[in-house]
Amino acid sequence: MAASPILLQPRLAGRIGTRTRAFAQMLVEGRGPYARAFESLILALIVLSVASIGLESIPGLPGWAIHALRVSEIVIVAVFTFEYLLRIIAARNGFAFIFSYQGLVDLLAIAPFYLIGFDARWLRALRLLRLLRILKLQTHVLERVVEQRTRELAEKNAALEKAQAQLKAELEVARSLQLAILPAAFPVRSGCQGAARMIPATTMGGDFYDYIELPDARVGLVIADVSGHGVPAAFFMAVARTNLRELAVRHVDPGECLAQTNDALCAQNPLDLFVTVFYCILDPKTGVLHYANAGHNLPYVRRAAGPVESLDGAAGLVLGAMPRVGYPTHTLQLLRGDRLVLYTDGVTEAFNPSHELYGAHRLVDEVRVHGGGTPGALIERICQSVTDFAGSEPQSDDIALTVVTWGEP
Amino acid sequence: MKLRIETLAEVTYVIPEGRLDFDAAPDFQEAMERLLGGGTTQLPAVIIDGAGLEYASSAGLRAILLAARAAQRAGILFGLCALQPAVREVFDLSGFSRIIAVHADRATALARARQGRP
Repeated sequence: MAASPILLQPRLAGRIGTRTRAFAQMLVEGRGPYARAFESLILALIVLSVASIGLESIPGLPGWAIHALRVSEIVIVAVFTFEYLLRIIAARNGFAFIFSYQGLVDLLAIAPFYLIGFDARWLRALRLLRLLRILKLQTHVLERVVEQRTRELAEKNAALEKAQAQLKAELEVARSLQLAILPAAFPVRSGCQGAARMIPATTMGGDFYDYIELPDARVGLVIADVSGHGVPAAFFMAVARTNLRELAVRHVDPGECLAQTNDALCAQNPLDLFVTVFYCILDPKTGVLHYANAGHNLPYVRRAAGPVESLDGAAGLVLGAMPRVGYPTHTLQLLRGDRLVLYTDGVTEAFNPSHELYGAHRLVDEVRVHGGGTPGALIERICQSVTDFAGSEPQSDDIALTVVTWGEP
Repeated sequence: MKLRIETLAEVTYVIPEGRLDFDAAPDFQEAMERLLGGGTTQLPAVIIDGAGLEYASSAGLRAILLAARAAQRAGILFGLCALQPAVREVFDLSGFSRIIAVHADRATALARARQGRP
């Protein structure tokens, strides 16, 4: 212990076992809990050692205190020496460490004690400089952590992008499926023509239209709007549509059909969604229209000469909100050349960049002025008008439209 | 949409301002759940003051319907008042005004609350 470590070093280098070196490296160069504890111990001793200079200078210190300070001095030097040796062993090149700045400071802190018993604690104050080194080390570690986190983040981003692309692809498939289950063509009936369109605001929508072929060549027309949009609305739309189609065949009265559909939906509605539905049955032979309304915007009739009227009749409650409610059925006799325009509020409640509503009046104008042609042409015209009005404002709600003409060859 | 909540006399007023649409509905819903579902404070009556409510989409209506149901479960009187004509129209059209109390103004709503019925 008393021998100079400098003289030991050349021989040690060859003989030190790999396990000893590994232990030394673990303690003075590692990042584990032992290394951190050891580092803290050394720092505490440096501070203690410097503080003891101040303590010793207090006049009239009792004998036991002076004694305790002397003992602590010996313990501190012993621990520092142990650390110094460990650092030499741990270093790849022991000599380089000894002559490094830190090595010299460490040696200076202990050497005088061994050589001349010189009280060199003030020299030990130099070791406080190690605090600076530790700060530097921490900065270095911090930089590496940041680098690693950045790399991890990039990897995660890539994974997220991939997942998102996959989700998007799946949603696109779901969107195509949803649009595909809506009937593409109006049933062939002499004297009747029809067209429809659905434009979801997001990938999937909650609006829908439907044509249902009923006995005696009658046709059921449905236009509906599920609250909200996106995937939940799309699922509820599918459930509502299936129920309505099934019940429409069994109930010839539209009001009764809606009441039954409402009860069915209330029983299978975990998300508390609801759907507004306008449902009517057209007899193509007579032009008689029976209809019932569950909270939906009332359709318009465009008379052959041009005037546009709203259907009348009190609306019932939206479907899915509360079971066992009634829906009155109303009747209207269509005249030759009349057109029925069924729509959802995605049309009338489209906004422009100044937050103005498209409004029913614009729709009515379009229907009056441009409603004389085919149903398909009128739908195109309305969609274009809404798109022009909205301008840069994104579509905030699904749009569905159905136009049916009666009494034209 | 902004949302203020104030309690006057025995009625807690929820005051939405702006558009209660698809984007605003989740926040509104959460605020109402906190207000009605906590079960810690027994509010006698909760009234939505619609004077500043410019627009309610179907998603907004759903949020109001859920609030009405939560109030019913908690035994709290629930209703709306002072709806702007456009919103009132949506309420009537959807049939909601038949299952949720809609009052002309705060005074009417307060009078009903004092009588202990919606």
